[in-house]
Amino acid sequence: MLAQPASGPPDAAALIAHLARPAPAHTSYTEVRFVHVLRAPLVLHGELEYLGQDHLSKRVDTPYRETSTIADGAVEVAREGRETRRFTLDRAPELKAMLASFGALLGGDIAVLEQVFSIALAQRGADWTLKLTPHDAEVARHLREVDVDGSAGEPRCFTLTEGGGDGSVMLLGGAAAQKLPDPLTPAALATLCGRVQR
Amino acid sequence: MNARWRIVLIVAWAVALVSLALLAERRLVVASDLRSFMPPPADADQRLVLDEIGEGPASRLLMLAIGGADEARLAAMARALAEALRRDAHFDRVLDGGADLASLDPTLLPYRYLLSPTLDQHEFDEEFLRHELEQRVEDLGSPVADQLETLLPRDPTLEVLTLAQRWTPAKVPRIRDGAWFSPRGEALLLAQTRAAGFDPAAQAEAIAAAEQAFAALPDRGAAQLSIAGPGYFAVVVGASTRRQAETLSALGTLGFALLLLAAYRSAGVLLVAALPIASGALAGIAAIVLAYGSIHGITLAFGFTLLGVAQEYPIRVFSHRRAGVDAASSVRGVWPLLRLAILSACIAYLTFFASGVPGLHQLALFTVVGLLVAGAATRWLLPVVVPSQPRDVAESALLEALRARLAALPRPVWLPALLLVAGLLMLRLAPAPLWQNDLAALTPVPAALLAREGELREALGAPDVRYLLVLEADSAEGVLATSERVYPQVEKLISAHAVDDVELPSRYLPSLATQRIRQSKLPDRAHLSAALGAALRDLPFQPGLFEPFVDDVETARTLPPLTPEAFERSPFGARLEAMLVERGGRWFGLAALSGVHDPAALAALDAADPGHVRLLDLKTASEALVAQYRTRILAALGVALLLLCLSVALAFRSATRAWHVIAPMSLATLLVLAVLRDFGVSLSLFHLVALTLAAGLGLHYALFFERRSIDAAEARRTLHGTLVCVAAAVFVFGLLAASTVPVLRAIGLTVALGVAFHFCLSVFMAQRSQ
Repeated sequence: MLAQPASGPPDAAALIAHLARPAPAHTSYTEVRFVHVLRAPLVLHGELEYLGQDHLSKRVDTPYRETSTIADGAVEVAREGRETRRFTLDRAPELKAMLASFGALLGGDIAVLEQVFSIALAQRGADWTLKLTPHDAEVARHLREVDVDGSAGEPRCFTLTEGGGDGSVMLLGGAAAQKLPDPLTPAALATLCGRVQR
Repeated sequence: MNARWRIVLIVAWAVALVSLALLAERRLVVASDLRSFMPPPADADQRLVLDEIGEGPASRLLMLAIGGADEARLAAMARALAEALRRDAHFDRVLDGGADLASLDPTLLPYRYLLSPTLDQHEFDEEFLRHELEQRVEDLGSPVADQLETLLPRDPTLEVLTLAQRWTPAKVPRIRDGAWFSPRGEALLLAQTRAAGFDPAAQAEAIAAAEQAFAALPDRGAAQLSIAGPGYFAVVVGASTRRQAETLSALGTLGFALLLLAAYRSAGVLLVAALPIASGALAGIAAIVLAYGSIHGITLAFGFTLLGVAQEYPIRVFSHRRAGVDAASSVRGVWPLLRLAILSACIAYLTFFASGVPGLHQLALFTVVGLLVAGAATRWLLPVVVPSQPRDVAESALLEALRARLAALPRPVWLPALLLVAGLLMLRLAPAPLWQNDLAALTPVPAALLAREGELREALGAPDVRYLLVLEADSAEGVLATSERVYPQVEKLISAHAVDDVELPSRYLPSLATQRIRQSKLPDRAHLSAALGAALRDLPFQPGLFEPFVDDVETARTLPPLTPEAFERSPFGARLEAMLVERGGRWFGLAALSGVHDPAALAALDAADPGHVRLLDLKTASEALVAQYRTRILAALGVALLLLCLSVALAFRSATRAWHVIAPMSLATLLVLAVLRDFGVSLSLFHLVALTLAAGLGLHYALFFERRSIDAAEARRTLHGTLVCVAAAVFVFGLLAASTVPVLRAIGLTVALGVAFHFCLSVFMAQRSQ
């Protein structure tokens, strides 16, 4: 299989500009989280909402109900029947970078993305993968890379690879409804997402 | 003596004064901490009040707000400013939204089971652990997973977060990008100064440091820093008071100079008129620097006011000069009276030494030395330098007409008695409370500043400056136990909105007894492992993941409970250290309050735990201190009056003549009081000082009018001198009376009024005997 080499940022810029979604935008998702303290990955279903300007909301519907809101440099986690927890992102630069990238993607703002990441684009036909690697070593220690896979103007998967080997794959839109591979591994999910390797 | 010599001498005198001033200025340390002017605390409670007023965290807190840019930039500036202030030696503690309490001192980690209240309600059994672990699975799916994951093996019940939450104030401003924000969209910071809140000079330094740090931030754009807090008020109000006082006294000096020119028609006189009082003031300062090392700001202010009587000495000399007679013999003519006035005033001020208040000792030394030196300068130096060709003021026909008019005034014998009765009656009928104990009321904070302060305090949930909940016991452990005992009632008050938050010491550290109870509830390794194993049954955690948790619980079972001393060494210990204090063998817990809505409800906590819990109202307590202080001053003034009568009587060797001097002075003082009181004025320390100055001036008028065997020309000279003195005092202090600052108005009005009364009564009562 021949992967076409990325033709550099100009194409990436065009693609990212194309990905922009006017706020508010929402999409259903399926998230698979690989956490090393757990024997099996966590699988969550719910809805993502982009309210513009670094303001994101992530609702979990199954296997439990929870709403996380990210705004103003803080995360709020609200769970039914429990006190809302609030965390500032100051001590979590990787989370901050990740959220900034997500917001920038949805806002189509390549300038913000380039401040934090170096961007590489790989394309194969209509399929493409944006690989984002943090500039900052401290951030990279926690967040090794972000892969955004998609086809034409639609993002399909949003994959975070964390420094400690943990990570998560978020399948968006139509991909969220797809049957998950068995066994559930990062590699199997990459295939499902149509990852384009350089 | 020829004119050239005189000029040389004047210049030499002035040069000597200036060099003394320069020397004094180099050695002079002006203390501004109000407490060193107050009486020493009599008991542990008073010491606590004084310490808290001056050094309590609430009084040292400055609230900083940055506005005028978008929030992201404001947040960045707030973080940079906080960082700069943390490095600044003026500040003890700087708080901003970035403080993340999730970091506990690692050596204290096993103690979390003794510090957290979890074990008060739960057991570490299968049911509880299962409930917690299910939630941890959910946590791992949330955005905060990364932060919790490292904690999890050691702390699956997240006690560290429970503690962090417990140690976070109930009300926290909105946080954005690690900075606090007010509802108005300004970034907020809290900075605690190292200097006491009672020390305006040191507060001014801290505020200047904060402003400089802000000015040094890059890319400030149009952003602006505003500051509020007790220390800031002291500085702002002090500066505006000083500005007004300076403007008014500059005007006063100008008017005084014009008056002297008009009265003596001689620039030479004007040139030397200020030399005696300047010499007295500098000698007074030098004496204090030698005796005490530093001088208190209030001593200076009060001292200069009281030294005002010395301005009369040269005027008496100028008015009593006769043509063809050299200055020295003119001075000799009035010297016995001047000497009597100076010595009796000195004897009176000596009583301040007996007051037992350090600030008043300094005041006594300053005034006594100042008066003696000003007197000596008038007697022996002034005659050498005054112009040798004087104008005899007695030649004025106008003055003679005035003297004759005054002498011819009817002087009914019953009038003084009537005035006395009227004065006493007026005093009785006065509407306002007799004393104004709230010193702050004399230097009020502008309403706009107060409103701004309230707004920021509300936004930040900063502790109340006025109220403090005090827990008392015979040991630190006792205080912590009391704190735990009142906790349920305090919770009720918070939910009833009587108060927004109460920062009890047991929030940080439970008593040893409570720690032991929690310790006894910790299961042993076998039981815990069994419960954990059962709780984990079908959850997806890796096997053996929670071994560190089991180890920590085992460690916690045998730990010696955490003492305040040990806790105070940890990063969070500073808070507790400030809250737990020992005074005179008793232990006090000081719980800061924020948002006090119902002080009465808080005061009622005492009923629940009599003798251990009480609401300390710093305002009332400090007013009580001021009242006590005033009692001492009043006693000193009473003794001073007695000594004054005695010295005047001894000097005259006649009780009748002494009566003619003392009676108008006392009656005039009474009448000033009566008039002030009937205009709704409550008296403060400043009024007392002003009354004392007026009485000192009144003593001069009465003494000079009481002179025996003088010819008509000499009587005219006396009248001239007295009129110049009265006009000068009424003008200078009348200007102050027009000030918008209550403290300046108090002094100005009292002295101006006093001088007028003293003059009228002296004319009326003293001359009657002739």
